[in-house]
Amino acid sequence: MNTLSSTSGALPLDPTGDRGAAASSVPAMAPRAKLVPGVKLAVRDLSMRYANGHTALRDFNLAVKAGEMVVVLGSNGSGKSTFMKCVVGLNRPTGGAVELAGRDLATLSGKALRQARLPLALISQNANLVKRRSVLANVCCGTLGRHKTLSTALGRVPREEIEPARAYLDEVGLLHLAAQRAGTLSGGQAQRVAVARALAQRPHVLLADEPVASLDPEAADEVMRLLRRLATEDGLAVVCVLHQPELATRYADRLVGLRSGQLEFDRPASAVSSQQIASLYLAEAA
Amino acid sequence: MNKVLDMRTPVASSGVRTFWSVAAIVVILALFVQAWIVVQARPQDLVTGAHGMADIISRAMPPAFDQFVPNLWPVLETIDLAIFGTVFGVLLAFPLAILAAANVTPAKPLYYAARAVIAVTRAVPDLVWALLFVTAVGLGPFPGALALAVHSIGMLGRLFAEVIEDMDMGPVEALTLTGAGRLQILSHAVVPGVLPSLLGIGLFRFDENLRSSLVLGFVGAGGIGFQLLTAMNLFQYQTVSFLLIATFVLVACAERASAYVRGLVA
Repeated sequence: MNTLSSTSGALPLDPTGDRGAAASSVPAMAPRAKLVPGVKLAVRDLSMRYANGHTALRDFNLAVKAGEMVVVLGSNGSGKSTFMKCVVGLNRPTGGAVELAGRDLATLSGKALRQARLPLALISQNANLVKRRSVLANVCCGTLGRHKTLSTALGRVPREEIEPARAYLDEVGLLHLAAQRAGTLSGGQAQRVAVARALAQRPHVLLADEPVASLDPEAADEVMRLLRRLATEDGLAVVCVLHQPELATRYADRLVGLRSGQLEFDRPASAVSSQQIASLYLAEAA
Repeated sequence: MNKVLDMRTPVASSGVRTFWSVAAIVVILALFVQAWIVVQARPQDLVTGAHGMADIISRAMPPAFDQFVPNLWPVLETIDLAIFGTVFGVLLAFPLAILAAANVTPAKPLYYAARAVIAVTRAVPDLVWALLFVTAVGLGPFPGALALAVHSIGMLGRLFAEVIEDMDMGPVEALTLTGAGRLQILSHAVVPGVLPSLLGIGLFRFDENLRSSLVLGFVGAGGIGFQLLTAMNLFQYQTVSFLLIATFVLVACAERASAYVRGLVA
Protein backbone atom coordinates (compact mmCIF):
# COMPACT_ATOMS: atom_id res chain seq x y z
CA MET A 1 0.00 0.00 0.00
CA ASN A 2 2.86 2.33 0.72
CA THR A 3 6.40 2.36 -0.50
CA LEU A 4 7.74 3.45 2.88
CA SER A 5 6.90 0.06 4.33
CA SER A 6 9.55 -1.78 2.35
CA THR A 7 12.15 -1.89 5.14
CA SER A 8 9.93 -3.59 7.64
CA GLY A 9 11.72 -6.93 7.44
CA ALA A 10 14.74 -5.72 9.45
CA LEU A 11 13.17 -3.97 12.35
CA PRO A 12 15.07 -3.28 15.57
CA LEU A 13 13.94 -4.71 18.92
CA ASP A 14 10.63 -3.29 19.98
CA PRO A 15 11.04 -1.48 23.32
CA THR A 16 7.72 -2.83 24.56
CA GLY A 17 8.28 -6.42 23.62
CA ASP A 18 6.18 -6.53 20.44
CA ARG A 19 9.25 -7.73 18.64
CA GLY A 20 7.89 -10.66 16.77
CA ALA A 21 4.88 -8.79 15.54
CA ALA A 22 6.82 -5.73 14.54
CA ALA A 23 9.39 -7.72 12.63
CA SER A 24 7.15 -9.81 10.39
CA SER A 25 7.13 -8.44 6.89
CA VAL A 26 3.96 -7.78 4.92
CA PRO A 27 0.90 -6.52 6.78
CA ALA A 28 -2.56 -7.73 5.94
CA MET A 29 -5.18 -5.44 4.48
CA ALA A 30 -6.22 -2.78 6.98
CA PRO A 31 -9.68 -3.69 8.33
CA ARG A 32 -12.35 -1.02 8.18
CA ALA A 33 -15.72 -0.50 9.76
CA LYS A 34 -18.49 -1.30 7.30
CA LEU A 35 -19.49 2.09 6.01
CA VAL A 36 -22.74 2.78 4.27
CA PRO A 37 -23.28 6.06 2.49
CA GLY A 38 -25.19 8.77 4.24
CA VAL A 39 -24.86 11.18 7.11
CA LYS A 40 -22.42 9.87 9.70
CA LEU A 41 -22.37 12.75 12.12
CA ALA A 42 -25.20 15.20 12.63
CA VAL A 43 -25.01 18.12 14.99
CA ARG A 44 -28.35 19.81 15.58
CA ASP A 45 -28.88 23.18 17.26
CA LEU A 46 -25.81 22.64 19.39
CA SER A 47 -25.38 25.27 22.09
CA MET A 48 -22.85 25.59 24.84
CA ARG A 49 -23.01 28.12 27.62
CA TYR A 50 -20.27 27.92 30.24
CA ALA A 51 -20.84 28.37 33.97
CA ASN A 52 -19.40 31.88 33.79
CA GLY A 53 -22.22 32.86 31.43
CA HIS A 54 -20.14 32.92 28.25
CA THR A 55 -21.96 31.41 25.27
CA ALA A 56 -19.32 29.62 23.22
CA LEU A 57 -21.68 27.97 20.73
CA ARG A 58 -25.17 28.93 19.65
CA ASP A 59 -27.59 26.78 17.63
CA PHE A 60 -24.85 25.26 15.54
CA ASN A 61 -25.84 22.75 12.86
CA LEU A 62 -23.62 20.46 10.87
CA ALA A 63 -24.09 17.21 8.98
CA VAL A 64 -21.15 15.24 7.63
CA LYS A 65 -21.58 12.42 5.16
CA ALA A 66 -19.42 9.36 4.61
CA GLY A 67 -16.49 10.18 2.37
CA GLU A 68 -16.79 13.88 3.01
CA MET A 69 -14.12 16.13 4.45
CA VAL A 70 -15.36 19.21 6.25
CA VAL A 71 -13.01 21.87 7.57
CA VAL A 72 -14.15 24.21 10.32
CA LEU A 73 -12.52 27.63 10.26
CA GLY A 74 -12.67 30.45 12.74
CA SER A 75 -10.53 32.68 14.88
CA ASN A 76 -9.49 31.92 18.46
CA GLY A 77 -12.54 31.93 20.70
CA SER A 78 -14.96 31.39 17.81
CA GLY A 79 -16.18 28.12 19.32
CA LYS A 80 -14.27 25.55 17.28
CA SER A 81 -12.70 23.76 20.23
CA THR A 82 -15.96 23.91 22.17
CA PHE A 83 -17.66 22.30 19.19
CA MET A 84 -15.10 19.50 19.15
CA LYS A 85 -15.33 18.97 22.90
CA CYS A 86 -19.12 18.81 22.72
CA VAL A 87 -19.00 16.27 19.91
CA VAL A 88 -16.63 13.90 21.71
CA GLY A 89 -18.39 14.34 25.02
CA LEU A 90 -15.65 16.18 26.92
CA ASN A 91 -18.14 19.04 27.33
CA ARG A 92 -21.83 18.44 27.88
CA PRO A 93 -23.70 20.85 25.61
CA THR A 94 -26.37 23.03 27.17
CA GLY A 95 -28.61 22.48 24.16
CA GLY A 96 -28.97 20.50 20.96
CA ALA A 97 -27.96 17.03 19.87
CA VAL A 98 -24.89 15.19 18.59
CA GLU A 99 -26.11 12.22 16.59
CA LEU A 100 -23.67 9.43 15.85
CA ALA A 101 -24.75 6.03 14.58
CA GLY A 102 -28.33 6.73 15.63
CA ARG A 103 -27.53 7.78 19.19
CA ASP A 104 -27.45 11.23 20.75
CA LEU A 105 -24.07 11.54 22.47
CA ALA A 106 -25.18 14.74 24.21
CA THR A 107 -27.56 12.78 26.42
CA LEU A 108 -25.10 10.06 27.42
CA SER A 109 -22.42 9.83 30.06
CA GLY A 110 -20.01 7.33 31.62
CA LYS A 111 -19.90 3.85 30.17
CA ALA A 112 -22.78 4.44 27.77
CA LEU A 113 -20.98 7.45 26.29
CA ARG A 114 -17.72 5.50 25.98
CA GLN A 115 -19.52 2.74 24.08
CA ALA A 116 -21.55 5.05 21.85
CA ARG A 117 -18.44 7.10 21.03
CA LEU A 118 -16.50 4.13 19.64
CA PRO A 119 -17.33 4.94 15.97
CA LEU A 120 -15.74 8.32 16.47
CA ALA A 121 -11.99 8.96 16.65
CA LEU A 122 -10.20 12.17 17.55
CA ILE A 123 -6.79 13.42 16.50
CA SER A 124 -5.56 16.31 18.60
CA GLN A 125 -3.10 19.08 17.95
CA ASN A 126 -0.54 17.09 19.92
CA ALA A 127 -0.30 13.47 18.84
CA ASN A 128 -0.58 12.44 22.52
CA LEU A 129 1.36 9.24 22.01
CA VAL A 130 2.77 7.25 24.92
CA LYS A 131 6.36 8.24 24.28
CA ARG A 132 8.08 5.31 25.96
CA ARG A 133 6.09 2.68 24.08
CA SER A 134 6.71 1.51 20.56
CA VAL A 135 4.90 3.00 17.61
CA LEU A 136 3.10 -0.31 17.06
CA ALA A 137 1.95 -0.51 20.69
CA ASN A 138 0.61 3.03 20.41
CA VAL A 139 -1.42 2.09 17.35
CA CYS A 140 -2.74 -1.00 19.12
CA CYS A 141 -4.00 1.27 21.91
CA GLY A 142 -6.65 2.45 19.47
CA THR A 143 -8.27 -0.98 19.76
CA LEU A 144 -8.59 -1.06 23.56
CA GLY A 145 -12.24 0.00 23.49
CA ARG A 146 -13.07 -3.29 21.75
CA HIS A 147 -10.95 -5.47 24.02
CA LYS A 148 -11.93 -5.17 27.66
CA THR A 149 -9.95 -8.18 28.82
CA LEU A 150 -7.73 -8.87 31.83
CA SER A 151 -4.77 -9.15 29.50
CA THR A 152 -5.27 -5.67 28.04
CA ALA A 153 -5.96 -4.29 31.53
CA LEU A 154 -2.50 -5.56 32.49
CA GLY A 155 -0.84 -3.62 29.70
CA ARG A 156 -0.75 -6.23 26.95
CA VAL A 157 -1.84 -5.34 23.44
CA PRO A 158 -4.48 -7.61 21.87
CA ARG A 159 -2.57 -10.16 19.80
CA GLU A 160 -5.17 -10.33 17.06
CA GLU A 161 -4.91 -6.57 16.57
CA ILE A 162 -1.19 -6.52 15.89
CA GLU A 163 -1.42 -7.40 12.20
CA PRO A 164 -4.21 -4.86 11.51
CA ALA A 165 -2.20 -2.26 13.44
CA ARG A 166 0.75 -2.92 11.17
CA ALA A 167 -1.53 -2.45 8.20
CA TYR A 168 -2.67 0.93 9.55
CA LEU A 169 0.95 1.93 10.02
CA ASP A 170 1.60 0.86 6.47
CA GLU A 171 -1.28 3.02 5.38
CA VAL A 172 0.23 6.13 6.98
CA GLY A 173 3.65 5.21 5.60
CA LEU A 174 5.36 4.41 8.88
CA LEU A 175 5.50 0.63 9.05
CA HIS A 176 9.29 0.78 9.01
CA LEU A 177 9.14 2.61 12.36
CA ALA A 178 6.80 0.09 14.02
CA ALA A 179 9.36 -1.02 16.60
CA GLN A 180 10.73 2.43 17.33
CA ARG A 181 9.88 4.31 20.49
CA ALA A 182 7.16 6.87 19.88
CA GLY A 183 9.20 9.51 21.71
CA THR A 184 11.83 9.47 18.98
CA LEU A 185 9.45 10.47 16.17
CA SER A 186 9.29 13.87 14.52
CA GLY A 187 6.13 15.94 14.91
CA GLY A 188 4.80 14.92 11.50
CA GLN A 189 5.53 11.25 12.07
CA ALA A 190 3.91 11.35 15.50
CA GLN A 191 0.79 12.90 14.02
CA ARG A 192 0.64 10.18 11.37
CA VAL A 193 0.94 7.54 14.10
CA ALA A 194 -1.96 9.29 15.86
CA VAL A 195 -3.94 8.91 12.62
CA ALA A 196 -3.03 5.20 12.52
CA ARG A 197 -4.17 4.84 16.14
CA ALA A 198 -7.42 6.55 15.24
CA LEU A 199 -7.86 4.16 12.29
CA ALA A 200 -7.27 1.20 14.60
CA GLN A 201 -10.41 2.29 16.36
CA ARG A 202 -12.22 1.54 13.05
CA PRO A 203 -14.19 4.76 13.20
CA HIS A 204 -16.94 6.05 10.96
CA VAL A 205 -16.11 9.63 11.81
CA LEU A 206 -12.66 11.10 12.19
CA LEU A 207 -12.32 14.39 14.06
CA ALA A 208 -9.08 16.33 13.80
CA ASP A 209 -8.60 19.28 16.12
CA GLU A 210 -5.90 21.49 14.59
CA PRO A 211 -3.88 18.43 13.56
CA VAL A 212 -1.19 20.43 11.77
CA ALA A 213 -0.85 23.38 14.17
CA SER A 214 2.63 22.40 15.33
CA LEU A 215 3.94 21.01 12.06
CA ASP A 216 6.14 22.52 9.37
CA PRO A 217 4.46 23.13 5.97
CA GLU A 218 5.73 19.90 4.44
CA ALA A 219 4.60 17.72 7.34
CA ALA A 220 1.31 19.62 7.52
CA ASP A 221 0.67 18.94 3.86
CA GLU A 222 1.44 15.27 4.35
CA VAL A 223 -1.04 14.92 7.22
CA MET A 224 -3.76 16.80 5.32
CA ARG A 225 -3.18 14.61 2.26
CA LEU A 226 -3.59 11.56 4.47
CA LEU A 227 -6.88 12.83 5.94
CA ARG A 228 -8.14 13.64 2.45
CA ARG A 229 -7.27 10.14 1.27
CA LEU A 230 -9.06 8.56 4.22
CA ALA A 231 -12.20 10.44 3.28
CA THR A 232 -12.00 9.77 -0.44
CA GLU A 233 -10.73 6.19 -0.51
CA ASP A 234 -11.94 4.77 2.79
CA GLY A 235 -15.20 6.66 3.03
CA LEU A 236 -14.58 8.17 6.45
CA ALA A 237 -16.47 11.29 7.43
CA VAL A 238 -13.68 13.70 8.34
CA VAL A 239 -14.21 16.88 10.35
CA CYS A 240 -11.11 18.99 10.73
CA VAL A 241 -10.59 22.22 12.64
CA LEU A 242 -7.89 24.32 11.01
CA HIS A 243 -6.22 27.69 11.26
CA GLN A 244 -4.71 27.50 7.78
CA PRO A 245 -7.23 28.72 5.16
CA GLU A 246 -4.98 27.70 2.27
CA LEU A 247 -4.85 24.08 3.47
CA ALA A 248 -8.58 24.17 4.12
CA THR A 249 -9.47 25.31 0.60
CA ARG A 250 -7.02 22.84 -0.92
CA TYR A 251 -8.22 19.72 0.86
CA ALA A 252 -11.79 20.20 2.09
CA ASP A 253 -15.04 19.37 0.33
CA ARG A 254 -16.88 21.85 2.50
CA LEU A 255 -15.83 24.81 4.56
CA VAL A 256 -17.67 25.81 7.69
CA GLY A 257 -17.04 29.26 9.13
CA LEU A 258 -17.63 29.94 12.81
CA ARG A 259 -17.73 33.38 14.38
CA SER A 260 -18.60 34.11 17.99
CA GLY A 261 -20.07 30.66 18.36
CA GLN A 262 -22.42 30.99 15.40
CA LEU A 263 -22.39 29.51 11.94
CA GLU A 264 -21.15 32.10 9.45
CA PHE A 265 -21.15 29.92 6.34
CA ASP A 266 -21.31 26.26 5.35
CA ARG A 267 -20.52 25.89 1.65
CA PRO A 268 -18.50 23.81 -0.78
CA ALA A 269 -14.84 24.82 -0.55
CA SER A 270 -14.88 26.08 -4.13
CA ALA A 271 -17.74 28.44 -3.34
CA VAL A 272 -16.04 30.21 -0.46
CA SER A 273 -14.03 33.30 -1.35
CA SER A 274 -10.82 34.30 0.39
CA GLN A 275 -12.58 37.50 1.50
CA GLN A 276 -15.22 35.45 3.31
CA ILE A 277 -12.52 33.47 5.06
CA ALA A 278 -10.56 36.60 5.91
CA SER A 279 -13.69 38.20 7.34
CA LEU A 280 -13.86 35.43 9.97
CA TYR A 281 -10.58 36.66 11.40
CA LEU A 282 -10.85 40.38 10.67
CA ALA A 283 -14.21 40.74 12.33
CA GLU A 284 -12.82 39.24 15.54
CA ALA A 285 -9.78 41.51 15.43
CA ALA A 286 -12.02 44.57 15.04
CA MET B 1 2.21 65.16 38.57
CA ASN B 2 1.44 61.68 37.48
CA LYS B 3 5.04 61.21 36.45
CA VAL B 4 6.22 62.24 39.91
CA LEU B 5 3.83 59.77 41.49
CA ASP B 6 4.94 57.03 39.12
CA MET B 7 8.54 57.61 40.06
CA ARG B 8 7.80 57.68 43.77
CA THR B 9 5.83 54.47 43.83
CA PRO B 10 8.78 52.13 43.12
CA VAL B 11 10.88 53.96 45.77
CA ALA B 12 8.15 53.39 48.35
CA SER B 13 7.77 49.69 47.45
CA SER B 14 11.56 49.32 47.54
CA GLY B 15 11.50 50.74 51.08
CA VAL B 16 8.85 48.25 52.08
CA ARG B 17 10.87 45.46 50.57
CA THR B 18 13.95 46.54 52.52
CA PHE B 19 11.93 46.61 55.72
CA TRP B 20 10.65 43.06 55.14
CA SER B 21 14.12 41.83 54.22
CA VAL B 22 15.58 43.24 57.46
CA ALA B 23 12.64 41.81 59.43
CA ALA B 24 13.20 38.38 57.87
CA ILE B 25 16.90 38.45 58.75
CA VAL B 26 16.08 39.47 62.35
CA VAL B 27 13.54 36.63 62.67
CA ILE B 28 15.99 34.07 61.29
CA LEU B 29 18.72 35.30 63.67
CA ALA B 30 16.29 35.16 66.60
CA LEU B 31 15.34 31.58 65.70
CA PHE B 32 18.99 30.57 65.51
CA VAL B 33 19.83 32.20 68.86
CA GLN B 34 16.96 30.46 70.64
CA ALA B 35 18.05 27.16 69.07
CA TRP B 36 21.59 27.81 70.32
CA ILE B 37 20.26 28.34 73.86
CA VAL B 38 17.87 25.38 73.82
CA VAL B 39 20.50 22.87 72.62
CA GLN B 40 22.92 24.27 75.19
CA ALA B 41 25.65 24.70 72.58
CA ARG B 42 29.09 24.94 74.14
CA PRO B 43 31.80 25.23 71.46
CA GLN B 44 34.51 25.22 74.12
CA ASP B 45 33.54 21.60 74.91
CA LEU B 46 34.68 20.63 71.43
CA VAL B 47 38.14 21.89 72.29
CA THR B 48 38.26 20.25 75.71
CA GLY B 49 36.69 17.06 74.30
CA ALA B 50 39.30 16.74 71.55
CA HIS B 51 41.54 14.82 73.90
CA GLY B 52 38.79 12.26 74.57
CA MET B 53 38.07 11.94 70.85
CA ALA B 54 41.75 11.40 70.10
CA ASP B 55 41.83 8.73 72.79
CA ILE B 56 38.88 6.85 71.28
CA ILE B 57 40.37 7.10 67.80
CA SER B 58 43.72 5.76 69.01
CA ARG B 59 41.95 2.86 70.73
CA ALA B 60 39.99 2.17 67.53
CA MET B 61 43.17 1.73 65.51
CA PRO B 62 43.90 -0.51 63.75
CA PRO B 63 40.40 -1.59 62.72
CA ALA B 64 39.61 -5.21 63.55
CA PHE B 65 39.65 -6.62 60.02
CA ASP B 66 39.52 -10.12 61.49
CA GLN B 67 35.85 -9.30 62.18
CA PHE B 68 35.15 -9.44 58.45
CA VAL B 69 33.83 -13.01 58.29
CA PRO B 70 31.79 -12.92 61.53
CA ASN B 71 30.07 -9.74 60.30
CA LEU B 72 29.17 -10.97 56.83
CA TRP B 73 25.78 -12.14 58.04
CA PRO B 74 24.88 -8.81 59.72
CA VAL B 75 25.96 -7.02 56.52
CA LEU B 76 23.67 -9.26 54.50
CA GLU B 77 20.91 -8.63 57.03
CA THR B 78 21.35 -4.87 56.62
CA ILE B 79 21.16 -5.10 52.83
CA ASP B 80 18.11 -7.37 53.03
CA LEU B 81 16.36 -5.06 55.45
CA ALA B 82 16.68 -2.33 52.82
CA ILE B 83 15.61 -4.62 49.98
CA PHE B 84 12.55 -5.90 51.84
CA GLY B 85 11.54 -2.43 53.01
CA THR B 86 11.96 -0.91 49.57
CA VAL B 87 10.21 -3.65 47.58
CA PHE B 88 7.32 -3.88 50.01
CA GLY B 89 7.12 -0.09 50.13
CA VAL B 90 7.07 0.26 46.33
CA LEU B 91 4.44 -2.47 45.91
CA LEU B 92 2.06 -0.80 48.36
CA ALA B 93 2.95 2.80 47.57
CA PHE B 94 2.11 2.57 43.87
CA PRO B 95 -1.59 1.68 44.17
CA LEU B 96 -1.84 4.15 47.02
CA ALA B 97 -0.28 6.84 44.83
CA ILE B 98 -2.79 6.14 42.06
CA LEU B 99 -5.59 6.79 44.54
CA ALA B 100 -3.78 9.82 45.95
CA ALA B 101 -3.07 11.52 42.60
CA ALA B 102 -5.79 14.09 41.92
CA ASN B 103 -5.66 13.61 38.13
CA VAL B 104 -6.25 9.85 38.04
CA THR B 105 -7.98 8.99 41.31
CA PRO B 106 -11.26 7.16 40.75
CA ALA B 107 -13.13 8.93 43.56
CA LYS B 108 -12.59 11.84 45.95
CA PRO B 109 -13.19 9.81 49.15
CA LEU B 110 -10.49 7.35 48.05
CA TYR B 111 -8.20 10.29 47.34
CA TYR B 112 -8.57 11.64 50.87
CA ALA B 113 -8.24 8.18 52.43
CA ALA B 114 -5.05 7.47 50.48
CA ARG B 115 -3.62 10.88 51.38
CA ALA B 116 -4.36 10.20 55.05
CA VAL B 117 -2.58 6.82 54.98
CA ILE B 118 0.41 8.42 53.29
CA ALA B 119 0.50 11.26 55.81
CA VAL B 120 0.40 8.91 58.83
CA THR B 121 3.01 6.45 57.55
CA ARG B 122 5.26 9.34 56.54
CA ALA B 123 4.90 11.41 59.69
CA VAL B 124 5.98 8.63 62.06
CA PRO B 125 9.78 8.11 61.75
CA ASP B 126 11.05 4.65 60.85
CA LEU B 127 12.83 4.42 64.22
CA VAL B 128 9.49 4.79 66.00
CA TRP B 129 7.91 2.22 63.69
CA ALA B 130 10.81 -0.11 64.53
CA LEU B 131 10.22 0.33 68.28
CA LEU B 132 6.53 -0.46 67.75
CA PHE B 133 7.26 -3.55 65.64
CA VAL B 134 9.97 -4.79 68.04
CA THR B 135 7.31 -4.67 70.74
CA ALA B 136 4.84 -6.46 68.48
CA VAL B 137 6.95 -9.19 66.85
CA GLY B 138 10.11 -9.28 69.00
CA LEU B 139 13.79 -8.56 68.33
CA GLY B 140 15.49 -9.34 65.01
CA PRO B 141 15.59 -8.08 61.46
CA PHE B 142 11.87 -8.61 60.72
CA PRO B 143 10.57 -5.66 62.80
CA GLY B 144 13.24 -3.50 61.16
CA ALA B 145 12.15 -4.60 57.71
CA LEU B 146 8.52 -3.88 58.58
CA ALA B 147 9.45 -0.45 59.92
CA LEU B 148 11.29 0.45 56.73
CA ALA B 149 8.43 -0.87 54.61
CA VAL B 150 5.73 1.11 56.41
CA HIS B 151 7.73 4.32 56.44
CA SER B 152 8.62 3.79 52.76
CA ILE B 153 4.95 3.49 51.87
CA GLY B 154 4.40 7.04 53.05
CA MET B 155 7.56 8.53 51.57
CA LEU B 156 7.19 6.76 48.23
CA GLY B 157 3.41 7.21 48.10
CA ARG B 158 3.71 10.97 48.26
CA LEU B 159 6.54 11.18 45.70
CA PHE B 160 4.83 8.73 43.34
CA ALA B 161 1.58 10.69 43.57
CA GLU B 162 3.42 13.91 42.73
CA VAL B 163 5.03 12.29 39.70
CA ILE B 164 1.66 11.03 38.50
CA GLU B 165 0.06 14.44 39.01
CA ASP B 166 2.82 16.07 36.97
CA MET B 167 2.61 13.60 34.09
CA ASP B 168 1.52 14.54 30.56
CA MET B 169 -2.22 13.86 30.47
CA GLY B 170 -2.38 13.90 26.66
CA PRO B 171 -2.02 10.13 26.22
CA VAL B 172 -4.58 9.55 28.99
CA GLU B 173 -7.11 11.75 27.19
CA ALA B 174 -6.32 10.08 23.88
CA LEU B 175 -6.88 6.60 25.30
CA THR B 176 -10.04 7.72 27.09
CA LEU B 177 -11.46 8.78 23.75
CA THR B 178 -10.63 5.41 22.19
CA GLY B 179 -13.03 3.85 24.70
CA ALA B 180 -10.33 2.33 26.90
CA GLY B 181 -11.32 1.48 30.47
CA ARG B 182 -9.74 2.87 33.64
CA LEU B 183 -7.36 -0.06 34.17
CA GLN B 184 -6.37 -0.08 30.51
CA ILE B 185 -5.57 3.62 30.66
CA LEU B 186 -3.55 3.01 33.80
CA SER B 187 -1.49 0.19 32.33
CA HIS B 188 -1.13 1.54 28.77
CA ALA B 189 -0.68 5.27 29.39
CA VAL B 190 -0.02 6.12 33.05
CA VAL B 191 2.47 3.38 33.95
CA PRO B 192 4.67 3.68 30.84
CA GLY B 193 4.68 7.45 31.28
CA VAL B 194 5.84 7.51 34.88
CA LEU B 195 7.79 4.26 35.21
CA PRO B 196 11.33 5.69 34.83
CA SER B 197 10.64 8.35 37.46
CA LEU B 198 9.12 5.79 39.82
CA LEU B 199 12.10 3.46 39.41
CA GLY B 200 14.48 6.35 40.07
CA ILE B 201 12.60 7.32 43.22
CA GLY B 202 12.46 3.67 44.33
CA LEU B 203 16.22 3.35 43.97
CA PHE B 204 16.80 6.55 45.94
CA ARG B 205 14.55 5.08 48.59
CA PHE B 206 16.72 1.95 48.66
CA ASP B 207 19.73 4.20 49.43
CA GLU B 208 17.79 5.85 52.23
CA ASN B 209 16.57 2.53 53.60
CA LEU B 210 20.09 1.13 53.65
CA ARG B 211 21.25 4.05 55.80
CA SER B 212 18.16 3.79 57.99
CA SER B 213 18.62 0.06 58.48
CA LEU B 214 21.98 0.79 60.16
CA VAL B 215 20.28 2.97 62.76
CA LEU B 216 17.39 0.56 63.25
CA GLY B 217 19.86 -1.99 64.63
CA PHE B 218 20.27 0.27 67.67
CA VAL B 219 16.72 -0.56 68.75
CA GLY B 220 17.19 -4.29 68.28
CA ALA B 221 16.20 -4.62 64.65
CA GLY B 222 19.29 -6.57 63.54
CA GLY B 223 21.95 -5.79 60.95
CA ILE B 224 25.25 -3.94 61.32
CA GLY B 225 23.63 -1.36 63.58
CA PHE B 226 23.02 -4.01 66.22
CA GLN B 227 26.66 -5.19 65.96
CA LEU B 228 27.84 -1.58 66.23
CA LEU B 229 25.80 -0.99 69.37
CA THR B 230 27.09 -4.21 70.94
CA ALA B 231 30.71 -3.34 70.14
CA MET B 232 30.27 0.17 71.58
CA ASN B 233 28.73 -1.20 74.77
CA LEU B 234 31.66 -3.64 75.13
CA PHE B 235 34.23 -0.87 74.40
CA GLN B 236 35.51 -2.85 71.38
CA TYR B 237 36.53 0.27 69.50
CA GLN B 238 38.61 -1.61 66.91
CA THR B 239 35.51 -3.57 65.97
CA VAL B 240 33.56 -0.31 65.93
CA SER B 241 36.04 1.24 63.48
CA PHE B 242 35.89 -1.84 61.28
CA LEU B 243 32.08 -1.74 61.27
CA LEU B 244 32.15 1.95 60.38
CA ILE B 245 34.44 1.20 57.44
CA ALA B 246 32.11 -1.64 56.38
CA THR B 247 29.16 0.75 56.62
CA PHE B 248 30.91 3.34 54.49
CA VAL B 249 31.81 0.76 51.82
CA LEU B 250 28.26 -0.64 51.86
CA VAL B 251 26.59 2.76 51.45
CA ALA B 252 29.05 3.88 48.78
CA CYS B 253 28.53 0.66 46.79
CA ALA B 254 24.75 0.95 47.07
CA GLU B 255 24.89 4.57 45.88
CA ARG B 256 27.01 3.64 42.86
CA ALA B 257 24.81 0.65 42.03
CA SER B 258 21.56 2.60 42.25
CA ALA B 259 23.04 5.50 40.22
CA TYR B 260 24.04 2.98 37.55
CA VAL B 261 20.57 1.37 37.43
CA ARG B 262 18.91 4.81 37.37
CA GLY B 263 21.09 5.65 34.39
CA LEU B 264 19.90 2.50 32.63
CA VAL B 265 16.19 3.22 33.10
CA ALA B 266 16.36 6.98 32.38
